[in-house]
Formats: sequence, structure tokens, C-alpha cells
Amino acid sequence: MEQRNLYGILAEFDNPKELIDISKEVVELGYDKFDTYSPFPIHGIDKAMKLKKSKLGWIVLGHGILGFCGALAMMYFMSVIDYPLNIGGKPFFNVPAWVPVTFELTILLSAFGTVFGMFFLNGLPRFNHPLFNIERFKNSTDDKFFICIEASDSKFHTDIVLDLFKNAGASYIEEVYE
Amino acid sequence: MSHQPTITDNLQLSADSKLPQILFGIGIIGLLISAYGYFADANQFFFSYLVSFTFFTGIAIASVFMVMFHHITKSKWGVVIRRIPETFGANLGVWAFFAIPILLGIHNLYHWSHEDAVAADKILKGKSAYLNTPFFIIRQILYFVIWGFVGHKLYKASIDMDITGDWGISSLMRRISAPAIPLFGLSIAFASFDWLMSLDPHWFSTMFGVYFFAISFQSFWAVMILMVFFLQRNGYLKNTIGKVHVYDMGAWLFAFTVFYAYIAFAQFLLIYYANLPEETLWFYHRLEGSWKFIAYGLLLLRFTLPFLVLLNREQKHDRKILTYVSILVLIMHFLEIYWIAMPTLSAHGIHFSWIDFSTLIGLGGIFFGMFFQRFKQNSMIPEKDPKLGACLEKSYHQ
Repeated sequence: MEQRNLYGILAEFDNPKELIDISKEVVELGYDKFDTYSPFPIHGIDKAMKLKKSKLGWIVLGHGILGFCGALAMMYFMSVIDYPLNIGGKPFFNVPAWVPVTFELTILLSAFGTVFGMFFLNGLPRFNHPLFNIERFKNSTDDKFFICIEASDSKFHTDIVLDLFKNAGASYIEEVYE
Repeated sequence: MSHQPTITDNLQLSADSKLPQILFGIGIIGLLISAYGYFADANQFFFSYLVSFTFFTGIAIASVFMVMFHHITKSKWGVVIRRIPETFGANLGVWAFFAIPILLGIHNLYHWSHEDAVAADKILKGKSAYLNTPFFIIRQILYFVIWGFVGHKLYKASIDMDITGDWGISSLMRRISAPAIPLFGLSIAFASFDWLMSLDPHWFSTMFGVYFFAISFQSFWAVMILMVFFLQRNGYLKNTIGKVHVYDMGAWLFAFTVFYAYIAFAQFLLIYYANLPEETLWFYHRLEGSWKFIAYGLLLLRFTLPFLVLLNREQKHDRKILTYVSILVLIMHFLEIYWIAMPTLSAHGIHFSWIDFSTLIGLGGIFFGMFFQRFKQNSMIPEKDPKLGACLEKSYHQ
């Protein structure tokens, strides 16, 4: 059998309550490279996992400001510098008339920032994930709740993690290889 | 029937609270001083009175709107704060009394009420089917009948539920709200045409009704936030109205800051862009002289600053920030109505008179005196509302 790298250890639980409890325990033991998988959003799991606030908001803000300034700069270049047109005797530097376009471009870039920023933060797109090697992991979209501690965590030690999950009453445990 | 949610707070404003009397006292003194202003400068008095009157009436109408939206969407989020707007709305019938000075001052306020002026003016002649004194008076009566009736009905139903605990009253509230929303939408629009837009009878804006609703609804949330904080500072509802409810009000204030800017700018942009003389003149007067400081002040202090400050989620429940923003919004709301109405009187620039402030304090004292007078008669929240439990259980989600 070829030598493969250990990705982490996966444990399956039967209900969300157990998943929240094990998440709290894992956080208390000092692991930080782990994730939980569930068929539906669990209220309070983010608190149990001590997840930090997403940085997405700042990405969106950056894009919004870029859209705002970019729109104004574009219209300034077009209607003041490059091709000034007299429209109804109004000034070339006609800020009220530019507001709708500025607004739209701010929204558009913010929306792009939201969608693509989310992809970026989630590490998407990617073709495969080691967890998909596990047949039972398919149940994470149905009725089972999973937690996986990654081998790259500095505190990771195979035996300790296996014991931890066993004592917590996991219904199934498997080592995940890349 | 499910269990009654337990509330640890005292829900009754103490019966011997002197607050209503104090406010009535301030109000009466303010109005008496203003009455002296009537003999000093009648035109100034009626314009100042109109500005203060629309300021408070708009907030009271907006509170009935909020109650109706809350009923018709079967909302849970605002049950703990609902009694406050209900109480404002219940006073609208009595408040009609304070519309009488506007009828008395109709010749000082409205150019179209002079028959000789109408006869000499082709445009005003064309509008005289709507803009004439008898019909104006009939409309005022009609508005206050609608507002007073609906406001009283919704308040009464809510109090009845406190007493009987009958959950069936919820559906009665929805049955009142559903037909009343379009009635309110139309009446607030026509009322704003009558009170403010017809000050310049040549001018018209089809968006003016929505615009008046937007400014009133934004400042209504500022009043709500300040009222809740005021009650909590005095030890009421401290555990009932939590972080999540404050956050909801902050989010409403933010949403209607944006809505206000959208409506106000849409009205301006179309008129600016089309540049038709009969429409543009109104803005021309209000962007000239010292009036332009209020116009740009509104852009900066009524939209931009509150928008940027409230953009962050954490700040929508920050009590200090919400207090300052609410006070700012209310000051700008007063200035905005002032900026709409007053250029008719003094086209050359801002000219504050002491009567502006005495009518504001006078009507404000009466308005809030009436509020607390009624508020202390009943519980501060709809105690037996079926959705109260869900509202109390709601928690702020990170």
C-alpha cells in the first residue's frame, strides 16, 4: 500500500447537541485547526467553536469604496476631461447626475466582493477534498454530524485525538488520508 | 394555552408620576409665549406653528404605520416596544384640536386661500377645485377622523387584550390594519400636500407624500430609541427590552436613513435634471442664500454621517452612538421641515425667530405630556400578547 499523508481524524456524532459539546471540548484542549460538518446550520455552533468574526465585511467595504471612487473617476475622466458635452447647459462636473451611476457601481462591486470574497475565504473553487474519501461522510448532508481535527494542528497527536473522540461517544471514527 | 412569559420588570409607570403635569406645564407656557408671538408677528407665528405641528404629527402618524406593519406581518420582534407607538397613535384624535390654528391662519399661510389672488392667476385657477378653503377644512377633518379612529381602535384592541387575554384580538388587529394601511398612505400624502407643498401653490412634486412619510418614519425611530432609553434610565423595562430589541431599532433607523436619502434625492434629481421652470423654482429658492447651508447640512448630517456611523453591526446596538444619532436625526428633521416651509416666508435666507422655538417647545410639551398621561394608565407592554414570549426569547446573534 502506498504511503499517504494523514489529513486528520474524523468523528461522527448522532445529534447536534453532541457536536456542540465535542466542539467546546476540542476548543478547551487548545486545538484550532478543526472544523465541524452538519446537514443544517446549528444555532450556537459558532460560539462553541469560538469562531472569529468573518473578515468578509471588510472585503465588501473595500470593494464598495473602490466602486464608489472608480465610478466617480470614470465619469470625471469621460465627461470633464476626455469628451465634455454640453447637456442642457448643465456643468460638465455634474455631480447630482452622477449619483445613480456611482450608486450602482458601488453596489455592483460590493456584490462581487461578497460573492468572490466568500469563495476566496472558503478556499474555493477546489476539485476535491480529503474528507470526500470517506464513504460515511456523505451522511453529513443527511442526518449525521461530523468533526474533523486536522493533522497540521500543532497539538495533533493521533492516539490522543482518537481517545478524545472515543471518550466523547463518537458513533464512528476514521483517520482521513489525503 | 401556553404558559405566560414571566417578566421581572415593573410594567407600570407609577401613577403619581408628575411627568405628564410637568410636560403639560412646559407645553402650556410655550404655547402662551407663542400666542404672544401671534400679536407680535402673525405670519411668523403661523409658519412656526405649522413647522412644529407637522414635526409632531408626522411622528404620530408614523407610529401608527409601525403598529400596522407589525400586526399585518404577524411580527414578533417588536411586541415589547409596541405599546409606545400605540400610545402615540391613540392621541391622534385629540391632537386634531391642534390643527385648528392652521385653519385660523389659512390666509397667513396659504397664498391660494386669497380669492383675488386666485382670480388673477391662471395656474391657481386651474388648481382651485382642490386648493380652496372649504375643501381644505373638510380634508383636515377627514384626515383626523381616519387617523384618530384607527389609532384609537388599535390602542383599544391592545388594551382589551391586556385585560381579557383573548388571543382572538390579534386577528381583529390585522383586520383593522389591512384596510387602514392604504388609507394612511393616501391621507399622509394628501396631508403633506396640504400642509407643506401648497405653501408654494405653483409647485408640485408627485413624490412629496412619500418624501414626507420617509422623513417622518426616520425620525419616528429616533423618537422610539430615545423613548426606550429614557424609560430604561428611569428603571423601567430594563430586562424586558434587551440588546436584540435595541439592535432592531438601530437597524430600522439605519434602513430608513437610507430610504430617506433615496426618496429625497430621487425627488431632487428628477426636478434638477428636467429643469422645468415650474418645478425647479422651489429648489432654486432652497439652494440659494443661507438656505443652501441647511440643504447641504441635510445631505451630510441627516444621511451621510448616520449612514457611516450605523453601517457597522456593532454600532447598531451601541447605546451612546444611537442616542447621539437619534438626537442628530431629530434636529435635522426639524431643520428639514423648516427648510421646506420657511423659504415661502423669508426667501432671502434663514431667519430664526424665537417663535420657532416656543411653538416647538409648546407643542412638544403637549405632545409628550399626552403621551405619558396615557402611557401611565396601562401596562408598558402588551402583557398578554401571544407573541410576547417569542419576542422575549429572541436573542442577539453574533
